[in-house]
Amino acid sequence: MKNLLLLLLLLLPLTGCLDDDDGMETLQDAELTIAFRAEYGGEPLHIQSEAYGYPTGDSLKLLLFQYYLSDLALNDGSGRRQYLLSDIDLIRWNSATDDPTQERTYTVSVPVGTYQGLTFGLGVKPTLNATDPSNFPADYVLNENEFWGPTTRYVFAKIEANAQLEEDGRYDTGLSYHMGSDSLYRGVQLDRSFTITDGSSPHLTIVVDVRNALSSNGQTLDITDPTKQAVHGGNQQVASGVWHRLSRSFRLEVN
Amino acid sequence: MIRHFYLVGFLVLLAVVGCREEPVTGPEVPDGGTITGPDAPTPYALEVPDYLPAPITDPENPLSEEGVELGRHLFYDASIFSTDGNMSCASCHKQELAFTDGLGRALGVRGEPGPRSAMSLVNLAFNPNGFNWDGRSPKLWEQAIHPVEDMLELDNDWEEVIRKLREHADYPARFRAAFGIDHTDEITRELTVKALAQFERTIISADSKFDRVFYQNTEFFTEQEQLGADSLFFVENVPPATLHPGCGHCHNAPTFGDNKFHNNGIEDASSLDDIIDKGYGDVTGSRFDNGKFRTPTLRNIALTAPYMHDGRFKTLEEVIDHYASGGHNLENEDPNITGFTLTEREKAALLAFLHTLTDESLLTDPRYAAPE
Repeated sequence: MKNLLLLLLLLLPLTGCLDDDDGMETLQDAELTIAFRAEYGGEPLHIQSEAYGYPTGDSLKLLLFQYYLSDLALNDGSGRRQYLLSDIDLIRWNSATDDPTQERTYTVSVPVGTYQGLTFGLGVKPTLNATDPSNFPADYVLNENEFWGPTTRYVFAKIEANAQLEEDGRYDTGLSYHMGSDSLYRGVQLDRSFTITDGSSPHLTIVVDVRNALSSNGQTLDITDPTKQAVHGGNQQVASGVWHRLSRSFRLEVN
Repeated sequence: MIRHFYLVGFLVLLAVVGCREEPVTGPEVPDGGTITGPDAPTPYALEVPDYLPAPITDPENPLSEEGVELGRHLFYDASIFSTDGNMSCASCHKQELAFTDGLGRALGVRGEPGPRSAMSLVNLAFNPNGFNWDGRSPKLWEQAIHPVEDMLELDNDWEEVIRKLREHADYPARFRAAFGIDHTDEITRELTVKALAQFERTIISADSKFDRVFYQNTEFFTEQEQLGADSLFFVENVPPATLHPGCGHCHNAPTFGDNKFHNNGIEDASSLDDIIDKGYGDVTGSRFDNGKFRTPTLRNIALTAPYMHDGRFKTLEEVIDHYASGGHNLENEDPNITGFTLTEREKAALLAFLHTLTDESLLTDPRYAAPE
């Protein structure tokens, strides 16, 4: 009897949670906007127009930063359910006219309530990465010539810059890091709670710092070393280092 | 006598009225006469091989059999678009040259060169936006507006073109069949360029030796072609410090272009502001885009000399030499323009591979030829 009472007491809160979930009002076809901001060293990223310092004492100008993200989803407060916003997207900054913050609006049906955060996969998820790009329309996000070759698969992220390695005012050393393979695909979980109510949704911003992808956690990619100035399929030791740091450079802002 | 004065006065008035009218009104666009005939366009099924992406559809300008055929007639009709009746779209976009003209800078109706070369028109159905070397036209049909008015191209005005079309014996019925209009005054500039775009979108080039080797499995590369493909064009595993990402980096199969804009290192300027033809920079208004131009497709590249937006390189050998030299290090130069060494054997192999991108069937395909 005592055990039964204990069991009931343990079940009560759980039952309560389930009831809450079941009773939650669900927003049908609601529009949820998520912003994506790129930064360099904590400041909004400006392609080409800004010269950025680098820990080796050199400076660089970014020409391109882009990444695919798969299965972007909201995590509910219990952590048990995810609400998919997008199965694949490509976020790109490649022009001085690009705003450091880009927005995407998703139409979703989600319960009102508190959410725990966002999750996504950095890169193209294996099921899509195994698909021939020509299976998609020419203007689809998976058909922007972001693949290695005609039969191989996607370049998950690119960082391109021109660096000034001598004090001559010339940004004439190309840096080009193209990364992507099933083994590099990473899940990213951004925990920061927010509440969605009928009539208002939080302003969510996924922020990533490009400098951290090149230099963080006590690791700095030596851009003066010619063997570390480019990754194109090969040079996977450099690729995995940049990729690992990049995947840890995301954070979620809630306003 | 008085009668004579009246008569003389009447004649003078007539002459004055006549003198006034001609320069003021110019060519009149006739009001809408009723057009008869079929008015229900037939949807056009654009077929492409499964190794190419699904073509982009334009809800504002869906393809129809009649629209494509109208566009083809317009494309080849020198009597409509140029002031002197001696130039059509096909004058600069010749089928036998993969719809280019063999010139470094296209010649206009007065024989004067424009600033840029005529781009190939193949596979435009896979371009989502940014038509032209500088990307100034978001849509294909919008692209066709400017050449008619450009004094270095057709040097005409659209009012005159529309007048000719409305008065034409054949075109009104074709416009009705393509767009369902009832009156000649519904023939507009927009419908005209949309018909041209419909025809242009049907020009698919996908039957080169490369396609037959790579996708259709009906032929084999020669040893030399294979070397060019594997070691220089499609380079995926670049050894550290080799610094050559391969041509396929920007010219990837199956389209052999990337629908993007790059500074590919051809401008030897002291700063971004000193680049004369600013290209994409003129469109975006950003100096950091100066000197960037659309990546052209390499399909049929052996037929489309001379090369670059201004035809500065006469041969593919010169193009390869440029890329091997590594550009000019301007700050917005694509960092993948790095320079590399190339043996004569490798160069010959790369050239051999580039020649496999020629689609011979395109050059005589009756669907793209002048209507009989």
